[in-house]
Amino acid sequence: MRIRTASIAVLASLAAFLAAPGCERARYVETGSPEGIISVNDVDFQDILKASSGMLESLGQTGVLKTAKNKPAQLIIGDVVNDTSSRFDVGEVTYRMREQLVNSGQATVVTTFGTTPEDKQAQEVLRREKFLKGETVEPLPDPDFSLTGKITQVKRSAGGTKQATYTFRLTLTNLRTGLEAWTKTVDMTKMGNKNAVGF
Amino acid sequence: MTATRIAARAALTVAAALLLGAGIVTVVAGCGTVNTTSTRTGPADSAVEATTKVNNLLQQLFLTAKEVRMNRTKGGPMEVQVDVENNGFSYKTFAYRFDWVDAKGNVIESQTSVWKSTNVPSGGSTVIRSVAPNEDATDFRLQVRRAES
Repeated sequence: MRIRTASIAVLASLAAFLAAPGCERARYVETGSPEGIISVNDVDFQDILKASSGMLESLGQTGVLKTAKNKPAQLIIGDVVNDTSSRFDVGEVTYRMREQLVNSGQATVVTTFGTTPEDKQAQEVLRREKFLKGETVEPLPDPDFSLTGKITQVKRSAGGTKQATYTFRLTLTNLRTGLEAWTKTVDMTKMGNKNAVGF
Repeated sequence: MTATRIAARAALTVAAALLLGAGIVTVVAGCGTVNTTSTRTGPADSAVEATTKVNNLLQQLFLTAKEVRMNRTKGGPMEVQVDVENNGFSYKTFAYRFDWVDAKGNVIESQTSVWKSTNVPSGGSTVIRSVAPNEDATDFRLQVRRAES
């Protein structure tokens, strides 16, 4: 009887030991870390961070913002179209870029421009101030560049293996000339037959 | 007689295992192997002097930081390029991150400092690069982490 009980205990311990690796408890991981989940058919957060990083590096490398009439350059953030089957907010890309450009003093973002301003209240206050003080006192923002873009995908498969390439492209248009002043594409290709945890 | 036969069979087994092992190594080395040729001999005259400190992880992965170049970009900030060669017999995947530091040694917080993954085929090389977030950055720190496979 005692031997039987001991055997059951040993078997139970063995089963628990074997089951342990399959059960992963929730934990915090560094945002954007390669440890994160990699999805074949979706844009992951790591991809968004890599895209905004690539864009910022290119902007710094070319020095295009230094060519603006205003110092620092004034930007309008236009439409960035998500033309992929993956649902995510494209603002995740542009806000990260804005954070670095604005906080480091390389550019300012005009949030009170046009018929669909980002900040309607600020635009109203600005108009009111302009009206009360007269035309010459506080000019309306005079942006140098507008930032627009598109995110596209190309998906292919062979047997059970899927491959997806996500392309982030951004363009900076000089609003004084109407010409393209800077453009950059950042590609990300993922391949596999199912989503996986990174390394 | 029996002992001799056993010894001969053992010798044959060992020889077969060695041949199989050599075959596997040849197949692994041959699959996806890249031969790299370069005409460059050294960094350009305009390159900024940089002290190179490479952590052991690259070497553990059979990867070599062949050359480190640091130059000022047209826009003003510094750019670093590191040539990484794969001297191993298999495809290598690793992640890296550049952190930029100012003259005081403080790390500059930046949206460009993110983990990026790359692959290098056997015998091949890749260039990992980063542009500093601003002109205050004078040095960089490179972190590497390996893939499990």
